[in-house]
Amino acid sequence: MIVPNLALRALRREWRLPELRTLIAALLLSVIALGAVGTLAARVQRAVLMSAAELIGGDLGIDAARPLPPDFVQQARALGLRTSKLASFPSVAFAHDRSQLLSVTAGDAAWPLRGKLLIAGRDGRSVASHAPHTGSVYLDHRALVALQLKPGERVQVGGMNLVVAGELEQQPGSSGLISLAPRAVMALTDAESAGLLGTGSRAHHQLLVAGDVSAVAAWRTWATAHLPNDAHLITPQEVQQRLAVAFDRAGTFLRLAALLAALLAGIAVALSAQRYARRKTDEIALLRAIGASSRYTFGNLAWSLAVPALLAALVGVGIALGLASIAFAYAHGLLPPSARNTPLPIGPAFAAAGVGLAVLIGFALPPLARLKSVPPIAVFRRSAATTGRRFDVLYALPVLVAIGLIALETGSWKLAGVLAACLAGAAVFTLVVTLAIMWLVRRYVARLHPALRLGASALTRRRALSLVQSCAIALGMTALLLLAVVAPALLDNWRQELPPDTPNWFVVNVQAAQRDGVRDALARLGATRYNEMPVAVGKLVTVNGVDVENQPFRGHDVKRDASQQLRLSWSPTLPPANRMIAGHWFTADPRTPQVSLDVAWIHRFDLKLGDTLGFLIGNQHIEARLTSIREVDWSRFNVNFFVLLDPAHGQTLPHTWIASFHLPPGHARALAAFSRDYPNLSLIDVDELLDRARQIVDQVTAAARWVLGFSLLAGALVLAAALTMSAAERRHEAALLRTLGARRAQLRMAALCEFGLLGAISGLTALLASAAAGAWLAHSVFRIRAFAPPWPPLIVAAAVAAVVVAMLGLVGTRRVLRTSPLRLLRR
Amino acid sequence: MDDSRMDDGNRTGMALISAQGLSKHVEGPTGRLDILDDVSLEVNAGETVAITGASGSGKTTLLGLLAGLDLPSTGGVSLDGHALNALDEEGRARLRLRLVGFVFQSFHLLPGLTAEENVLLPLELDGTPDATTRAGAALDAVGLTERAAHFPFQLSGGEQQRVAIARAFVHAPRILFADEPTGNLDHHSRDAIANLLFALNREHRTTLVLVTHDPALAARCARVHDLVDGHLQAHAQ
Repeated sequence: MIVPNLALRALRREWRLPELRTLIAALLLSVIALGAVGTLAARVQRAVLMSAAELIGGDLGIDAARPLPPDFVQQARALGLRTSKLASFPSVAFAHDRSQLLSVTAGDAAWPLRGKLLIAGRDGRSVASHAPHTGSVYLDHRALVALQLKPGERVQVGGMNLVVAGELEQQPGSSGLISLAPRAVMALTDAESAGLLGTGSRAHHQLLVAGDVSAVAAWRTWATAHLPNDAHLITPQEVQQRLAVAFDRAGTFLRLAALLAALLAGIAVALSAQRYARRKTDEIALLRAIGASSRYTFGNLAWSLAVPALLAALVGVGIALGLASIAFAYAHGLLPPSARNTPLPIGPAFAAAGVGLAVLIGFALPPLARLKSVPPIAVFRRSAATTGRRFDVLYALPVLVAIGLIALETGSWKLAGVLAACLAGAAVFTLVVTLAIMWLVRRYVARLHPALRLGASALTRRRALSLVQSCAIALGMTALLLLAVVAPALLDNWRQELPPDTPNWFVVNVQAAQRDGVRDALARLGATRYNEMPVAVGKLVTVNGVDVENQPFRGHDVKRDASQQLRLSWSPTLPPANRMIAGHWFTADPRTPQVSLDVAWIHRFDLKLGDTLGFLIGNQHIEARLTSIREVDWSRFNVNFFVLLDPAHGQTLPHTWIASFHLPPGHARALAAFSRDYPNLSLIDVDELLDRARQIVDQVTAAARWVLGFSLLAGALVLAAALTMSAAERRHEAALLRTLGARRAQLRMAALCEFGLLGAISGLTALLASAAAGAWLAHSVFRIRAFAPPWPPLIVAAAVAAVVVAMLGLVGTRRVLRTSPLRLLRR
Repeated sequence: MDDSRMDDGNRTGMALISAQGLSKHVEGPTGRLDILDDVSLEVNAGETVAITGASGSGKTTLLGLLAGLDLPSTGGVSLDGHALNALDEEGRARLRLRLVGFVFQSFHLLPGLTAEENVLLPLELDGTPDATTRAGAALDAVGLTERAAHFPFQLSGGEQQRVAIARAFVHAPRILFADEPTGNLDHHSRDAIANLLFALNREHRTTLVLVTHDPALAARCARVHDLVDGHLQAHAQ
């Protein structure tokens, strides 16, 4: 084949061209950045999911009010999955003439499949265990205190005489809002033989499975299709909405960082391709003159780019996988042991190679496609190649690729559009500022020092080039400041959302008469940040006067959710971690009931402001008009509700109270006495969830440092590409000026002036654009409300970046100044 | 060659290059600029023709029109009986590949290819089977066998032009267009290149159209035309 031969031959020499190298380096960098982040994110996500699996005790589970048919287990085993059965139920235990209601979990020998059941032995040391042997039970500290028991003694549970085999310290599945204190774990066979799980019992049955990802996915599909009416899936993803928010944020953050690196690489590609195309003009003109067809000419060009590009993409995949492995090993300590051996997913790295090639094609094609219009006569007159410029629809391609890339990485067209608009805004702002400075230069240039005049007017002499350069450098610098200064500030804000005194306990079922006593008792135990809200339990029965059963909800799940028991509350003011997104807050003492809903409900049940919702609470029926839509930040660990009624109507309903508070670690044991004094209350510990959320923030922070490194490299490439764009003209001009008698100092001063102006324009744009984009990202994407752009470090970073541009420009001219003008002119 | 209209074209009694009423004008900042005005020229197979004129007189423009690199504003050119106006750019490219060789003032060698690979270029474009042998012979004919593996930047100006001449003759074109072939060379190289060009021209019996402002070089052609104010004036030799 002729075409590749010529292309390959030409490559040997062309590889020395800085444009081609920058082009390929930019591709390599974008593949590495996207690939490493994609691979790492997929691996960390899998690991974090596994760690979430530890919270439920398996990779996936089913919770049902009755024992599940045996084919659920058979199907799981057929797919090679491990299975475990357990049941949970309340039961009263007796010992030493004392009794205590316990929340009992009865598990088989395999339970837990994931996570740890930690037991403190008689020597006080923690050991990981499975469900106890027949005839024995584990009790938690509160149960031991309440029943005045020590390990080794006997306790009666469900009519069976069991030995306390150890103190239960931690068990999977204890972090959910349903868990009640104190707790006990016994063998499933004992519970079955004691008749605790028979018909009429209050037991909930669970089946947990664990194993290969694809087998779990297959079982999930099968199980979903065969799920009995009273059963539901328990998935790590759904185990806690609070953790889900952290997962989403973590993923979005990393992908955005990688995306900016890839977009920076795209700018470098566009600049290098422009320069490469200019270099190729003579060659294309010659080939056309000696009779080469356009197919041949462009085939040749395509091959000479495709060969190194494909090689670079493959090398990029390799490096990305390597880096992701190293990064994963580095973050290893943050992950639970079972999550450390997750396989390295290779899909994301190859997908990144595809995206990198798309970036290359998208950003390089417009300037290269212009070569198609190079007429053969340009072999005599170069100017013929540049005449007749017109708007080319191809120039929309990089914009489309950029928007597509943003949408792909962020999974949201809205986000893609707004981020693209931000970058476009930054570009337009740069153009306006550059044009304004050019106008000022033209107007006042005569008053400047001759050397400065030379430098300032260089901007206006190379008008188009200066505009392209300032835009590219400004966009590059915006992305850099966004990553280097704004992103760490965002992460800090995120971290501060979960300060050390974040509420880590919930107490539910507080009766009105107990409120003061509970608050005081907890305060004496060292609890802080006590925050309570009323809670009523009811059901949604009608929407706009039509029964829920007859609503055209999408899907069986939605219908089932709508008819489930719900907890609602009321508040005179908008509670913390809530944001109004539509409508207005309750008016004082409204005549008819009003309701405010979280936006998730609005989407799930397809509601709109003004709709009427009928609730049945106890035996009271309330018809409330939807007057506001809120967005609740579920990651804040506050007491929050999907449904809020206006206080005037809410307080007439039968209700109890729920409160959240912070109890310093180590004080939890003191709650045993508290729960004995208030046996009707349930305490819920969310410390473990909080720890997981904090771990995710730490993992993201660690990974963000890696991504930032790529972005810095990509930024350097943009700068290099922008500076090489004008290097040839600059060399020639400097040589000419030196021939005419300009001193080196004068040329240095001129270069400093020109690049100083470029740096100042870019720095200013980057400063404003990154602050604006950061504020917008914090508000709309990461939902971090208290974010303010970190102005002092931003200003310093923008100034440093501007100085670096000026200095690099100066360094770039050193070579020109050192060489004799004669040699330069001969080049 | 997939164009069936391009037969061998060895037609007797017909000019190999025929230009009738050529004019070329461009729009400049000060209005229309007439570069060529009603130029007609006939060149028979095997003839050597020089076009001379002052700088900016339109010599190169005329050469570009004759070679089909550009189209005239009015008038027409035919090469070996093929009217260039009737062909699209792809068709003209195919015709050039088959009929035409070029030598340029600034050599126009591809910087990424060695001397030999530059010479191979027209043969590869044409799919010639024994391309390497022929390229070797062409380089030998210009005395650069030793320099076959050198890249253009490793060659002197005179050597680069010799490679360009080897490239121009390697596929035995029937017409050679040369644009100031010695314009970028020193006095010594200039004579050597001119000698080489005419020797190879004689050997290959190529029709030569040469654009130059060097009277000595023009004088070596059988026919000389002067281009003055866009009009062609014949000189008797």
